[in-house]
Amino acid sequence: MTRVTLEKITKRYASSGVHAVKDLSLTIEPGTLLCLLGPSGCGKTTTLKILAGLTEPDAGKVFFDSENVTSVKPERRGAVMVFQNHLLFPFMNVAENVGFGLRMRGEAPAKVQTKVREMLRLLQLDGMDKRKPSELSGGQRQRVSLARALVVRPRVLLLDEPLSNLDQHLRDEMRDLILRMKERLEVTTLFVTHDQQEAAVLSDRIALMFGGVIRQTGESRDFYERPAGLDVAAFFGNRNVVSGVKRGRKVETVLGTLSVSNLPDVPDGPVSVVVRPEAIEFGKTGENTFNVEVKRSVYMGTHIRHQVYFYDNEWDIVAPSGSAQPSAGEHIAIRLPPEKIWLIAQ
Amino acid sequence: MTRAAIVLIVVAVTGPALPLVVWSVSHGWWFPSVLPDGFSLRAWNYVFQSDAGVFTALFTSLGIAVAVTLITMLLGVPAGRALGMHSFPGRRAAEFLLLAPIIVPGLAVFMGVHIFFIRIGLVDTALGVIIAQLLPCLPYMTVIMSGVFANYEREAEQQARCLGARSFQVFLHITLPAIMPGIVTGGLFVFLVSWSQYVLTLLVGGGRVITLPLLLFSFAQSGDHAIAAALSLVFVLPAIVVLVVTSRYISGTSPALGGMGRI
Amino acid sequence: MEGTRTAAVRGITRQRLTVLLLLTPALVVVLLLFTGGLALGIIQSFGYLPAAGLTTFTLDAYRKIFAMPGFVRSAAFTLFVSVCTTMLSVVFGIGTAFALRGRTGRAATFVYQIPLTVPHLVVAVAVMMLVSQSGLTSRVLFQLGLIGEPADFPALLYDPYGVGIILVYVWKQIPFIGLITLSVLQSVGENYEGLSRTLGASRWQTVRHVLIPLLLPAIVPGSIIIFAFVFGSFEVPLLLGKSYPSMLSVLAYRLYIDVDLTMRPEAMATSVLIALFVLALTVLYRFAADLLQRRRL
Repeated sequence: MTRVTLEKITKRYASSGVHAVKDLSLTIEPGTLLCLLGPSGCGKTTTLKILAGLTEPDAGKVFFDSENVTSVKPERRGAVMVFQNHLLFPFMNVAENVGFGLRMRGEAPAKVQTKVREMLRLLQLDGMDKRKPSELSGGQRQRVSLARALVVRPRVLLLDEPLSNLDQHLRDEMRDLILRMKERLEVTTLFVTHDQQEAAVLSDRIALMFGGVIRQTGESRDFYERPAGLDVAAFFGNRNVVSGVKRGRKVETVLGTLSVSNLPDVPDGPVSVVVRPEAIEFGKTGENTFNVEVKRSVYMGTHIRHQVYFYDNEWDIVAPSGSAQPSAGEHIAIRLPPEKIWLIAQ
Repeated sequence: MTRAAIVLIVVAVTGPALPLVVWSVSHGWWFPSVLPDGFSLRAWNYVFQSDAGVFTALFTSLGIAVAVTLITMLLGVPAGRALGMHSFPGRRAAEFLLLAPIIVPGLAVFMGVHIFFIRIGLVDTALGVIIAQLLPCLPYMTVIMSGVFANYEREAEQQARCLGARSFQVFLHITLPAIMPGIVTGGLFVFLVSWSQYVLTLLVGGGRVITLPLLLFSFAQSGDHAIAAALSLVFVLPAIVVLVVTSRYISGTSPALGGMGRI
Repeated sequence: MEGTRTAAVRGITRQRLTVLLLLTPALVVVLLLFTGGLALGIIQSFGYLPAAGLTTFTLDAYRKIFAMPGFVRSAAFTLFVSVCTTMLSVVFGIGTAFALRGRTGRAATFVYQIPLTVPHLVVAVAVMMLVSQSGLTSRVLFQLGLIGEPADFPALLYDPYGVGIILVYVWKQIPFIGLITLSVLQSVGENYEGLSRTLGASRWQTVRHVLIPLLLPAIVPGSIIIFAFVFGSFEVPLLLGKSYPSMLSVLAYRLYIDVDLTMRPEAMATSVLIALFVLALTVLYRFAADLLQRRRL
């Protein structure tokens, strides 16, 4: 199991001079799965390619354990990539595809055959070894692609949005498969995606990337409950923000004075108050209560999403369907639980 | 290493132009001199002399090439549409037949029909040459257009129909603009094929229809290198113009190559 | 039920009619010139020439040409030149494409494409001036003291190997193969290459085991086109080739314009054989293309 460390990696796009990645530092603990999350064009794939050795960084170093691999050629590094588009070799059958890496490294044909067979069985592809890629389904192709990467026992596994091209139910299947493989083979894995749900399900840790820079790292929970900034909150589906001034355990806002109990190291002064849509309670009395008008309520199946309006602000409230719900046009009281309020210094 | 290769490529491509240019302005250039003994504009004067036949040959070539291009457009665009957009029984056969003349040498095929041309009096005429040149040229236009139509989205036409446009309007405002790059590429391609055409013009023209390549050939054989060089440079001009136009306004030769791949 | 079926049938008939209308003009031209030409050529090759008073069908013409040493030599020579041109074009086409990729700025691509549009005759004239025994190359070698007189320079024109002819066609065809190669390399090649490298294959292994097989479905049809084209070529061998043995098209032409009309069937037989040989190649090509298409994803 390999620890992967990126130290201040910088890379500019050759054509425009714009930074693809800037001063990026990251550590992936051995045997864990880190998800590199971010919108398209934020530099995730470039980072992946630098790790794989397919691109050289303009500055910075890459370490596998304590070995500096920054200048090591891709075929010697042991970082294997699985692409979004499975890229199976169309002129080889499944067994030949999976055995490719082993053959190129010079392993004996008999050994190659055994290892290939074993890996196919592991990924539920028994009996498919003579099939051509054109004869496989989308899910099967992706599994062959994964098998091909895993059979060479890589030090690092790099997955570039491998689920994006799959239908929903196939995605769930593949997610389970990747999790199982990870547990079984204990490979340090870096997974790139723009879908935060995928990130939440698969990863041990997430690194959120905007514009070539890492914005926040942590577990899935941290991004929802303790976002590092308004952009992070927005990316994770929260636009409930109001400005205020913090004094000790109180925050002065246009809603009145709010009590806050979950105190981050935010200094007194101007702050943004952020509350998750799921955390807001209905019709209570007590501190942190104020009135809003319900503009719209949308039934989403498992929950209902309300859009409420107050003092030029529009907020979302999400409540599980089944409990008593206000309807559009009503004026109601809502409460922000003090422990669920998050502050970000302005 | 690749830098050396690139230099080599550039030299190999542009190199041959050098002897042509130098020869065209030379006056007495014998072995073993690497540079001419003297310079003169004799060859160029000859080329631009109105009674030397060069201008006649030039305009004949031009006229024939333009006529061939227009005719192939009229015939090749609909044929390309049929092959590229529709599936019907006998499509493979039609495709094969329409595209085979690209590979099968024109002379071999045309020698047979030559006697027919004599019979109906088309030999020794420009019209005969134009018709003959349709043989190699039409398939190129068809191939390119069928490639264009294969990538064409029918939905735009259907959308226009929904909105009330009549067939003729649909063609003019929807279809034509969409396929125009393909038509232009095909047209330029066909123009070049006709422009460079030699053997069919020789056979059907019977020595009466003199195009530029025929003139060039006789000068090349005669040993007058200076005039041959000057004529070559005149002859190659449209080709370079075509290249500049296609690479600037149309994305590379991909439509053409795409068409080629469909044969 | 009945109404929809008739409507469907009408729809199909309408479509078939449209297709017919679209295709007919072009088809008529092709049928008259191409199939007509071939048919008439075949008929005449069987000795049917009312103009010369020959009205019996016979295989004499074919027997005669195969007995002609000139014909057999021409055929061999033509095959040789075609095979050499094709192989050299493919090797150098792929090679230069590999050298150029990644550096395809507008300028490089433009220069690379120039040979595609330059007419063959111009190339032939330039080659003539460069590699004839009194040509530029020979003169440079003389200045460098490597040769003493024109005859010391090898005969690359009017020679038994058709070197000058091969030079012309290779110069023209390298970018043809090169552009096909580049288009494959730049579309899928890059990703496959990265994938292959991370799996453990070296640069060279990647080229050999991944990129070349990836290129083949595109290159093979291109090579067949080149081969067929050179096989039937006329004006370049006419200018730069020996008169004996000449390439097959030149031979056919000479027989055709011979004053002796009884040579006509032999001329036709030669050209029919050229056409049929190339047609067989086209069929082979179609077959190969379909086969390779099924292996592609």
